[in-house]
Amino acid sequence: MFFSAIRNILKNSQNAAKYTAITAQLRHLRGQRNHQVEVGLITPTDVTTNQHDTPAEAAREGAKEVALDFGKREAHVPSFNLAAYVNNSSTLKKFIDLGVDLHSIEKRKGLGQFVLGLDFEKNVKPHISFLVDQGVSPDNFGRMFTKNPLLFKEDLDDLKTRVEYLKSKRFSDEARARILTQNPYWLMFSTRRVDRRLGYFQKEFRLSGHDLRLLATKEPNVITYNMEHLRKSVFTLKEEMGFSPKELSALIVRRPRLMMTPPDDLIERFSYIHQDMGLSHAQIVQCPELLASREFRLRERHEFLKLLGRAQYNPQEDLYISPKTIVQGNNFYFVRNVAKSDLETFELFLKTR
Amino acid sequence: MVLTKVYDAATVFRHLNGILNVYKPAGMKVKHVRNAILSNICKGLNSLEQREPRELPKSPLLGTGTAGDDVLHKIASNPDLSDHILSAGPHYTPSDVRFSTVAPLGDHTSGVLLFGINKGTGQASCIKGNRPVRVYHITGRMGTATENHLPDTHITVRSNFRHVSAERISGLASSMQASHQRKMYELCGVDLQTQAAYELACKGLIRPADNNHPVIYGINLIHFERPHFTLELHAINETEEYLAALVHDMALELRTVAHCAQIRCVRHSHFDIRDSLLRHGWNLPGIMKNLRRHRDLLREHPQMMHPRQINLQA
Repeated sequence: MFFSAIRNILKNSQNAAKYTAITAQLRHLRGQRNHQVEVGLITPTDVTTNQHDTPAEAAREGAKEVALDFGKREAHVPSFNLAAYVNNSSTLKKFIDLGVDLHSIEKRKGLGQFVLGLDFEKNVKPHISFLVDQGVSPDNFGRMFTKNPLLFKEDLDDLKTRVEYLKSKRFSDEARARILTQNPYWLMFSTRRVDRRLGYFQKEFRLSGHDLRLLATKEPNVITYNMEHLRKSVFTLKEEMGFSPKELSALIVRRPRLMMTPPDDLIERFSYIHQDMGLSHAQIVQCPELLASREFRLRERHEFLKLLGRAQYNPQEDLYISPKTIVQGNNFYFVRNVAKSDLETFELFLKTR
Repeated sequence: MVLTKVYDAATVFRHLNGILNVYKPAGMKVKHVRNAILSNICKGLNSLEQREPRELPKSPLLGTGTAGDDVLHKIASNPDLSDHILSAGPHYTPSDVRFSTVAPLGDHTSGVLLFGINKGTGQASCIKGNRPVRVYHITGRMGTATENHLPDTHITVRSNFRHVSAERISGLASSMQASHQRKMYELCGVDLQTQAAYELACKGLIRPADNNHPVIYGINLIHFERPHFTLELHAINETEEYLAALVHDMALELRTVAHCAQIRCVRHSHFDIRDSLLRHGWNLPGIMKNLRRHRDLLREHPQMMHPRQINLQA
């Protein structure tokens, strides 16, 4: 016990000796504005990895440059955020250049530690070039990696397999690029899991291959969404609202996002549209935007039209107003183009309720 | 007054002070209104021009002869990335804005809701301390009574209301107003037919001394169309439940039953419903405009901020 403690102390002091050597070199390197500076010194293992580069760097030490001291943050000091390490880590610097929001990454449990341990050349670069090969635009990298930094944990071969799976399911190049861009979590799912999910949608709504691909491309997030939520909202759409299977599949393909909205909200909107506005199921399927709009918005606009005497949704009669146009645009657009009134009247109306 | 366009978030934040008059929609909690406004303020501020990240000390690349060289300057600039928005987070968060409510409204109530923002929180508490009168328009629906006298609960009683006329409602309203006024003088300990009562009345409105005794100053009928009737009511320290119960009691007096279909606050002291900010105006430009409007209003009516003395000891 005692000896092991002494051994530990000795090891620490050795590490410290290595560390001081490295810091001197690092200072020198920063003086040269070299980009290979890497101080991810959170764990002692990093110290040893840095140790490998030392001979080459030591050779360059001969040039007597003025070493810059930025008052560098000591690596063993714990920190609450990634910002403390940004100036010393080239990986984090590159992430900032890509537009990755480190602030929102560090708020999620364990991700800060994970990102800190990444090496740009080794862990990040292959994945980025892989994504570029898949047709993902570099403008989206920041948003994607902010959402899912754990993508770098996945094996590159696995990612290739998953993309091959999509190819085998005859997703076009654009569709694949869109899926990867819109849903950075897609590649985290194993092919078997994705296959099961796609199978569920195909069976549940009796979709054709084309429609399923359309659904998955339109809203890739639906495929990887929480299954429990999906089942609940599908139940709501099917049983509580009473859409027939055919109507349901049309509705889902047109507006996949409906499955991701909370079922309570859906029911509230549906009951207003169906009971108060008096639209039939067929009309709702024709314009699923109605179900996607918040209830207060529908209520305001419908009641305003009713006040003006223009709430006429039957296409067979005069002065027909398409339900689709009710939820389009902002209030100004609605008042001018749909209600054919002016904003002051609308505001006065809103202030009476 | 000359208006200039501002693109800089810090300047906007420095001027984000004062009283905000918001139109609260019915069915939305005050807490949710507050959160929506705060997050919209922050979204607006963060989308404006932000300051550049701090600079670290310059490298010695810049000698004496090269100071004018642009390219060298660019190479030598050394921003402190730990101060970058992406690493340190957005510059404005809801907790940076101080926010206070002047007087709460119930969930089913719509209408004028006052907030104090940043330096306006002090003004808000001044206004709150003065206990200004609030004016309500209350719509009752006769024929059905509900459990909590509001429309969203179970119906408990139904009854006939053919015998109710506008005259009977306004007669009842004025008798209620008279009895409330008489009660006020009695609580002050003066007889209504004396010189003391006259002098008390000359000094202005008799206000309650604390926050929990509702006082009604006026009720009158402004609209009647069976089964709905609308009352205008001036009150201090009222709550949603109190107003709903009042409508219920009035209906019982009229030999029928009723519940509150709508409660709307149309005026709070000098803050009118005409200047209140609707939901589609809850963005940074709209909020700034509203704050400026009410800064002028406060300047026109400085007595809103000074404490007044006549108190009703209940």
